[in-house]
Amino acid sequence: MSDLWPPLWLSLRIATAATVLVALVAIPLAFVMARRAFTGKSILEALLTVPLVLPPTVVGYFIIVTLGARGWIGQWIHRLFDYSVMFRIEGAILAAAVVALPLLYMPAKAAFASVDRELQDIATLLGANRFQMFWHVSLPLARRGIASGLVLAFARALGEFGATVMVFGWQPRRLTLPISIYADYERGELGNAGLAVIALTAVSLGLILLYNRSLARAT
Amino acid sequence: MYILRGFILSVFLATCAHAESITVAAAISLKEVMTDVAKEYKASGADDVELTFGSSGQLLSQIKNVAPIDLFISAARQQVTELKKAGLADEASERVVAGNRLVLIVPADVKDAPKSFEDLADARVKRVAVGEPKTVPAGQYAMQVLEAMRLTGALDGRIVHGSNVRQVLDYVIRGEVDAGIVYATDAASAGEKVKLVATADAKTHEPIEYPAIIVKASKKHDAAQKFLDFLTSEKAAQIFAGAGFTPAGAASSPTTAPAP
Repeated sequence: MSDLWPPLWLSLRIATAATVLVALVAIPLAFVMARRAFTGKSILEALLTVPLVLPPTVVGYFIIVTLGARGWIGQWIHRLFDYSVMFRIEGAILAAAVVALPLLYMPAKAAFASVDRELQDIATLLGANRFQMFWHVSLPLARRGIASGLVLAFARALGEFGATVMVFGWQPRRLTLPISIYADYERGELGNAGLAVIALTAVSLGLILLYNRSLARAT
Repeated sequence: MYILRGFILSVFLATCAHAESITVAAAISLKEVMTDVAKEYKASGADDVELTFGSSGQLLSQIKNVAPIDLFISAARQQVTELKKAGLADEASERVVAGNRLVLIVPADVKDAPKSFEDLADARVKRVAVGEPKTVPAGQYAMQVLEAMRLTGALDGRIVHGSNVRQVLDYVIRGEVDAGIVYATDAASAGEKVKLVATADAKTHEPIEYPAIIVKASKKHDAAQKFLDFLTSEKAAQIFAGAGFTPAGAASSPTTAPAP
């Protein structure tokens, strides 16, 4: 059996950072998208949701052609700072975040949309600026939907494989849990993957139980 | 309706016509050359050859998992030995079809790139790509070279694995690594996109040979044998030589025998 802890620890770090990144992007966007109409909204909406159905390999491809050392943007970053997201933990976090984004964005948007509009109007009447209204009224009222989205996004980030393996690659002693399973498969040593499979299944099941419970509480 | 029926019939007939095709699983470093060899073979009036490529380790796994493969061409002895040990190969059929050399390459447009294997120890070299040594023969040979040159310690934490030798090549082409270790023929296939900076001393690694062996479960043993005969013919040797491969047997000659 291969050593379980290093890949589990790496996966947990990546998934946690990716969830934080997703929260920072998805929650404010969900808030705006739930309340405002603007041109191009449906396209932005589609872009935020499409990673849900795109094969992660397509996400990996896009990351490489935009941010890789020869990518549209990546070549400038590489030239100026001798930096590329490839093989770095930042790349793995980005890959996991893109794939996990819709899982927080969609429930968060639904939660914001179901917040009583009058309460928000009252907050504005009482002199709250837009941020205060978001922070003291909308966010607390939408917290259940957001919490369940966070759980789902974290679970998805933890299990991300396709985009991650393209960006993070296959590095000796630096494998995420899903990549370690694939590495065992590639080597024809699938028997060694048992612990990793059990760990991922157990953690994912636990997270889904948590998610289901949060849903039950929200309704 | 008639058109549809005619179409189905013609597809059916076409399938029958190709019944005498064999499936060859070859190390991915042979991609272009095997495509040419198969074309030449077909042009000589012989069977169709379906080619499937991957790292030798991947292909070995596939054969072990009963993939319908008639002939296996590995980039190292190890995978063929494993296949024989598993009792899945027709041992008597084994023949070496070509040899190769191992080289160090860097992205073409990088100015202060390493100029030798020794330069890999330099702190400026942040990432070196090699094939994953357990499944990719090129990685296996590369690690032998790095060990013989006592560079593995210095490179600890800076090595990135490719799941086959062409992925290593691609990492170098894309400039994502500072250097990569591939076969001379891979470097040649990339043309201007990479720069070959050094060739590994053949004494520092096992001889690089491509052994071919017929898979025991093959139902087209005779057809596979015929193709294998062609692979070791003068005509095929010319195609291999034209693509930059070394002749079969040259690598294991006494002058280039590896250090134990």
